[in-house]
Amino acid sequence: MADVTVRPLSELDLDGITRIDERITGRYRPEVWEERVTYYIRRDAEASQVAESGGKVVGFMLGEVRGGEFGLEEATGWLDFMGVDPDARGKGVGGRLADALLAHFRSAGVHVARTMVRTEDEQILGFVRSIGFAPAPISSLEKRL
Amino acid sequence: MAETRRDMPREYHEAVVHWQKHNFPDYPKLAQLWDRYFPRDEPFCLCAKLADDVNPEIQLGERKGQPKALSPKELPEDAAHLLLGQIRAQASTEFGSIQQHEGTLARAADPQDQAWVLRVMAEELRHGYQMVHLLTSQDWSPVTDQKPADMVEEILNMNTGSHVLAAFNLEFDSFTDNVVFAALIDRVGKYQLSMQKVSAYEPYAASMPSMLKEEAFHLAAGVVPLRRWVERAAKGDALVTMDAIQKSVTKWFLRGLEMFGDDRPGGHGGEDAVRMGLKDMNNRQAQDSYIAEVQKVLDDLNERYVRAKRPDLSRDDADALYAKLKREKGSADGIAYQDLLRLPDRRFFRRRGEGAFQMYGFDGQTFDDPEKCIADVAAHLPEAYRASVDVRHWSNTLRKVHAGEVPLKDAIKSMPRLARVGGSCPCARSVRWVMDVDGSGASGEGAQLHP
Repeated sequence: MADVTVRPLSELDLDGITRIDERITGRYRPEVWEERVTYYIRRDAEASQVAESGGKVVGFMLGEVRGGEFGLEEATGWLDFMGVDPDARGKGVGGRLADALLAHFRSAGVHVARTMVRTEDEQILGFVRSIGFAPAPISSLEKRL
Repeated sequence: MAETRRDMPREYHEAVVHWQKHNFPDYPKLAQLWDRYFPRDEPFCLCAKLADDVNPEIQLGERKGQPKALSPKELPEDAAHLLLGQIRAQASTEFGSIQQHEGTLARAADPQDQAWVLRVMAEELRHGYQMVHLLTSQDWSPVTDQKPADMVEEILNMNTGSHVLAAFNLEFDSFTDNVVFAALIDRVGKYQLSMQKVSAYEPYAASMPSMLKEEAFHLAAGVVPLRRWVERAAKGDALVTMDAIQKSVTKWFLRGLEMFGDDRPGGHGGEDAVRMGLKDMNNRQAQDSYIAEVQKVLDDLNERYVRAKRPDLSRDDADALYAKLKREKGSADGIAYQDLLRLPDRRFFRRRGEGAFQMYGFDGQTFDDPEKCIADVAAHLPEAYRASVDVRHWSNTLRKVHAGEVPLKDAIKSMPRLARVGGSCPCARSVRWVMDVDGSGASGEGAQLHP
């Protein structure tokens, strides 16, 4: 794989992100990613990151600083969405994306980053643990309706 | 990004607000739509935003390493003049684009597209405010004899037809123009702001980060609707066609190229600004990057089109089909290259710089007869725009240049004479946008400066 560069997200990454999602989930969902990507660009275009190799997007990490949710008044850097092209896994792409996203959160004066991962997503859970996330003293609850 | 927010002195703040009332009457709707379309975003602020963490040293050019100027008098005289021109031109584009968008905003077919453009317009108003703040918060007397109030007056008096750059003197023909303008012309704005982020004038450099952040959304507000439109076109929607999008792209792309300034190969356009530390690329370098980026936009749209046209193909097969169409410029699997969006040659239909009033065709071919060249230009432009004074002026000037009746340098300087060329405040009791707080137009605390 050619050298990987990590840079802030732009609207020109839409197709690359849709492509990664399609490779992972098997679903082509351009409208979903158009809404999401536009949201993160609008909120803070410098926060969310993409990894590029050979002119192709091989990974993305979308997040932003929010505060006041779930009674957590402290401003929090939220890691909301991520994806790495299956062919680019195991090469440190996710780690570099996380480094850039967390550095941006720090530069915004944020002292804590949070995310939520489904228990069955062991690969993602393993990844977020590897970049320093630990179980938080918060319970995630749900009720089926 | 830490930033400080500033309002302007009352007379300037109210001048901009009053200008908005006349030129951007849809602005109040944004507050009504905000919670629906931008629910988590903090409310819009008509204010200047200055980044707190700007590099204090000049980052390039012959004064690299020296402290950035905090006021115009700290700059060398030639740099201060160039800077003032940059700020005035930037201000003209911000206010000018609002006047253009407003004309066709109501024609949007999709409420989200409309709300996005409305926000784009409001943020352009804030950018104009930011430029006026730069002109009125420092002493420019070492650079110009013009008083701040008169500089602001001159900018607010500009109208579609009298702005500094040609791209802001064209009327929008439909809401397609609103969206294509955001995707293409705001992209030039992104380049200008990015280049000026290093400016040797600290208040200008500090103005760029917040503007760039907002500009990133403007590009999405152009590209995302276009992505959806090309899909509809591929599915046979008679109301959205690739031809209409292509013609609007052609209309704006060439004017966008001219916003970079003198771009002649081997020329020195923009190098003075780089030498003075006011921006970090010359005109040609920036324009080359811009062209490559617009090509990426079109590739993205074309790939979406091919995917929608042939949903039976896998992602890889659809990509291979687009690559083949682009390479061979023919037809395959029911799609013709001519159905796709294409960039015109950079010398096509130019008024300034490389190819100005020369007989280049859309694909870079040359003509020896002005009428053939004009026919090629006309065939690639939107029908409504073809009938405009702008295209007529270009065509007549091309004929005169090639008949030897007008020297090329005079042709390049000429602009179409539009019927509407100025815009002092149209209120019956006021002839100026900027009112003297202590003058006869108002008296007492809290009095309205405008009727």
